[in-house]
Amino acid sequence: MTKQKYIYRKNLLLIIAFIVLLSGILAAALLITFGLTRKFVESEFSTRTIAVMERTMRPYDDLFRNKIPEINNYRGFFTKKSASEYADSVFSDYPFVKRVDFYHFTISNHTNGHSAKAEGKDIAISSAYHFSPDSGGKIKSSPNVEAKSSDDFKLMKAKVGGFIKTADTSRLYSVEETYGISYDIKPGKISYLNIPRLEELKDLLSNTSTLSVYQHDMMTFYLDPNKLVIRNTRPELYQKISIKQIIYDPLQDDNDQNLFREIPLPGAFSEYKLYFQSSKAFITAEVIRNFLPIGAAVLVVYLFIVCIGWLIYRNLNVNHKLFKLQYDFINNFTHEFKTPVSVIKIAGSNLRNAETAITERQQRHYGKILDEEADKLNDLMNRLLSFTQLENKSIQIKKEEIVLDEFVQKYIDTFKIKYPKFKLTCRIKNVGSFESDPVLLGSIFQNMIENAYKYSPPDRKELNIDIEGTKKDIVFLFTDKGIGIPKNEIDNIFKKFYRIESQYNQNGSVGLGLAFCKELVNFMNGEISVKSKLNQGSEFKIVLPY
Amino acid sequence: MLVSALSCHRKQEQIPVEAFFNAQVSNFHISPNGKYISYFKRDKKKQTLILRNIATGVEDTSVIDQGSRGDHFWTYNNQIVITKYSRKRGGFQLSAIDAATLKTRTLLSIDNERVSFRLLGRSVKHPDILTFIMNQRDSTILDVYRLNITTGELKMYIKNPGNVTQFYTDPDGGIRLEKSSDGVNETILYRQNDNSDFKPILSNNFKNLVEPIAFTGVGNYFYAKSNVNRDKIALVDINADNAKEEKVIFSSDKADIDEVSYSKYKQRLEMVTWQEAKPKRHILDARMNAIYADLEQQLPGDEIRISDRDTTEQNFLINTSSDRNPGSTYLYTAGSKKLVKLADMNPGINQGDLCEMKPISFKAGDGTLINGYLTYPKNTDSVNLPVVVMPHSDFWNRNKWGYNAEVQFLANRGYAVFQVNYRGSTGYGKEFYSAGFKQVGGKMQDDITDGVEWLIAQKIANPKKIAIFGSRFGGFSALYGASFHQSLYACVAVQSPLLNMFTYFSDVPPFLKPKLSMLYEMVGNPETDADQFRAISPIFNANKIKVPLIVFPGPRELNANELATFISEVKKNGVHVTDISGKKNNDSNFLPREHRLDMYKDLEKFLETNLGQK
Repeated sequence: MTKQKYIYRKNLLLIIAFIVLLSGILAAALLITFGLTRKFVESEFSTRTIAVMERTMRPYDDLFRNKIPEINNYRGFFTKKSASEYADSVFSDYPFVKRVDFYHFTISNHTNGHSAKAEGKDIAISSAYHFSPDSGGKIKSSPNVEAKSSDDFKLMKAKVGGFIKTADTSRLYSVEETYGISYDIKPGKISYLNIPRLEELKDLLSNTSTLSVYQHDMMTFYLDPNKLVIRNTRPELYQKISIKQIIYDPLQDDNDQNLFREIPLPGAFSEYKLYFQSSKAFITAEVIRNFLPIGAAVLVVYLFIVCIGWLIYRNLNVNHKLFKLQYDFINNFTHEFKTPVSVIKIAGSNLRNAETAITERQQRHYGKILDEEADKLNDLMNRLLSFTQLENKSIQIKKEEIVLDEFVQKYIDTFKIKYPKFKLTCRIKNVGSFESDPVLLGSIFQNMIENAYKYSPPDRKELNIDIEGTKKDIVFLFTDKGIGIPKNEIDNIFKKFYRIESQYNQNGSVGLGLAFCKELVNFMNGEISVKSKLNQGSEFKIVLPY
Repeated sequence: MLVSALSCHRKQEQIPVEAFFNAQVSNFHISPNGKYISYFKRDKKKQTLILRNIATGVEDTSVIDQGSRGDHFWTYNNQIVITKYSRKRGGFQLSAIDAATLKTRTLLSIDNERVSFRLLGRSVKHPDILTFIMNQRDSTILDVYRLNITTGELKMYIKNPGNVTQFYTDPDGGIRLEKSSDGVNETILYRQNDNSDFKPILSNNFKNLVEPIAFTGVGNYFYAKSNVNRDKIALVDINADNAKEEKVIFSSDKADIDEVSYSKYKQRLEMVTWQEAKPKRHILDARMNAIYADLEQQLPGDEIRISDRDTTEQNFLINTSSDRNPGSTYLYTAGSKKLVKLADMNPGINQGDLCEMKPISFKAGDGTLINGYLTYPKNTDSVNLPVVVMPHSDFWNRNKWGYNAEVQFLANRGYAVFQVNYRGSTGYGKEFYSAGFKQVGGKMQDDITDGVEWLIAQKIANPKKIAIFGSRFGGFSALYGASFHQSLYACVAVQSPLLNMFTYFSDVPPFLKPKLSMLYEMVGNPETDADQFRAISPIFNANKIKVPLIVFPGPRELNANELATFISEVKKNGVHVTDISGKKNNDSNFLPREHRLDMYKDLEKFLETNLGQK
């Protein structure tokens, strides 16, 4: 018994340790994932700024890379009208352009011009306008009188003048090489001019006395960063995105409640930066939104592990019960064997130690005892053996024609001799004979009758057998008026080695009878069930197919 | 499927690309004394001048140069003068070879890339004097010079005030007629002799043409081609004193007079030619008539032309050609009527393997009759053919009936080749020509489109297998077609295409600046028609190209950057662009032969892939 207890205690401890460990892991996992999610969201907050900026700057890039170089395609043929149309398309497509200054100028090898000379080449403005969109969506243009003193133009003039001076006319310059000359990017504005083409350069640099005049255009685009449309591609990350001056210091009005990040704008917007901010609560909400599915996944894993643990525990429990049953059985069985063996032993030693010659009466008496006890042992062993065989399905059904009337009467007669006080009655309805294995059926009858006798109080030893044929089956009803079976035990009585603890089975029971019967019935493709009322009697119903 | 499978079986052997573009001999001339024949022979990159003694058959050679291009001519005292433009450096050289001694001397050498030289006249009386125009003083102005090839003395004969575009020489090289242009109006100027001043005698809008040919010898009358007060150019006779047109010597109601043959040596009109569906001619001189009649008899089926002659007019060089004949040169002796074949321009081609060029005509959308040519591939039913549309490479030009290596190459590869003389094309009269004014990207393009639709309606073209291929202006037309008629063309091939009308104007060379106002009227003004230019220029419409495109290099790609921008823009449409323009960019004015061959090989592959023709 101590061994049992020991096993049991050990199990419980393990379970507790297991649960504690699991819960600990769960808590840790949830905490860690939450922490990681927070870190992830915060790093997303800082890395996704680039995507927002790219998206926001796309129109600017398009202006810079595609629209502005289109000026070059006009090859210096811009007039006020066409330049105004071009500016108009710029204003409508790129709302952040607030003004376009247009200079139409000539490059010539004129040497005595009144304008400033750029390395011997005369660069002079022939007309200049500036365009700006007016409120009605129309374009306003006005002659730019201060054009000649415009810094933008002076700068570009110097650039192109320098380029002409140093140009290598033996080869074609690629767009990449002339980028620095055709573009000038200053904070807030982009200037662009179409640089002289190879043929022009050759002509300008050749020492001919002929006058060569080439027309060129330059445009300066004034940009308004506040009109940039901010594309918040991650509204869940950034509560507010704004364009601030580069010197704007977020710490000035930060009350430690905000997460912020800044990224300087490229090119002509370099005096400004994109400023991203989100409140802590906003970020936490985002963390939780991100965390929920992860937390749920952790929980699911946890539940799964718990479920497996419970299943393992249940199996252990069942095994434990089975172990206990078998232990009981061995106890019982040993006991069962002991009685006939000790009787045989006593009888044997009496016979050997008789000092006088035994009488004939004594001889008969011992002989009977030995015979009977040997039968008992034999019977015990047969039952154990056949039960094992049955369980292993190693016996064969030998079907024979059974005349029920005769078959039942034979058992009633036998038991009436064995237990004279036993009241056995039998009724057969709708059926005369059927095919089955008489040995197996006999065993069922024997067990049922034996049980009914065993579990009945001495004054109520009665059993009524009802046999009725239905369409497909034969129904055997064994109704006794015995002690009955408690409700909570009804499920157990057909289990192997199970015995109801009662005064009626102290001797000669191993708890195999009903289990044996159930195996037999199942073996014969039938069913067995029981209805019972405590202290009033039980009714076993066996249904066998024809 | 079945038809194409069958036609595959019957298809003729493919002629290798090389064979089409393999002219080995060219520029045949006969010496004034009738003793020598001179010609160029090209072997790989080397060009050689061959001088053959007719009587002995002995050939002397003189290597001209590698990597240069030029021409040669004879003076009346039997000197050969060679003009040479260097490919690499862009310089110009004039040299002379004495036929008898084979001594070479350099007459002129100008190291200027933009040199423009044109011979105006050789003198019979003073055979040492050459009269020519050259832009040495100012790259934009062509002055008349006289060079003594014996002494090497170069003198300016007439200083161009800047607006004179043409000078017309007498048989002695004297100039009494010139043409000036203010860009829109052309004026003919006349002077009595070298000591008097030029006076304007008649003035015309550039849509009209008066082209003096020579003085008749009677009074101050001169022959001229003119379409003043008539639609088609005719050969007329004009009095220089009062600028009155005296009489029409010859006119055709079908077409403009194209060429007028005038013998400067004998000072007489010989023949006029013009282009109808096929070339036509009318002979004005009885002796020539007899010679042509004999030649026609000896060379049936071919177009015959006298290309050169000696001063005695006994020995003639004869050129023959046809749609399937790349050209042959014969020596004809008038007295004996003996005809000796000197050379085939392209001996590697068997005329029987080439395809017939058929004149066609159709009604454009607005009812105008448009002419063109269709070359069918050999051995095919004339239905459901893959077609290559080839707009001519200059707007103000035309396709003529005759041998065209490009056309024959494509036809040999199984494509029908379609050439349209859309409005604006020359030779169909003033009205048709000026109908193309300011119609670049307008009616001119519509005519091509209408032509293709006509081909489809006639079931000649397989509507799914039409390609368009053109160079320069033709490239513009091809790209325009692919941009604005996206469903019509399966693919587009261009060589050095005109991408930007603005660039076209900034590319106008300095000496052509006087012609700008005329170009403004013909094409449009880049300043006032900027909208139109923007709307039609491929560079502004790259996003509309949705079919596979192949771009070939032209000779000296001036606008490589523009082309590169255009190609990358087209690639953004997800279109497959084969760009070989950048790889073989060369700085010479002429596309080397091997590049041309590569181009045609690539074109063949490209068409095969995109039209599924093999």
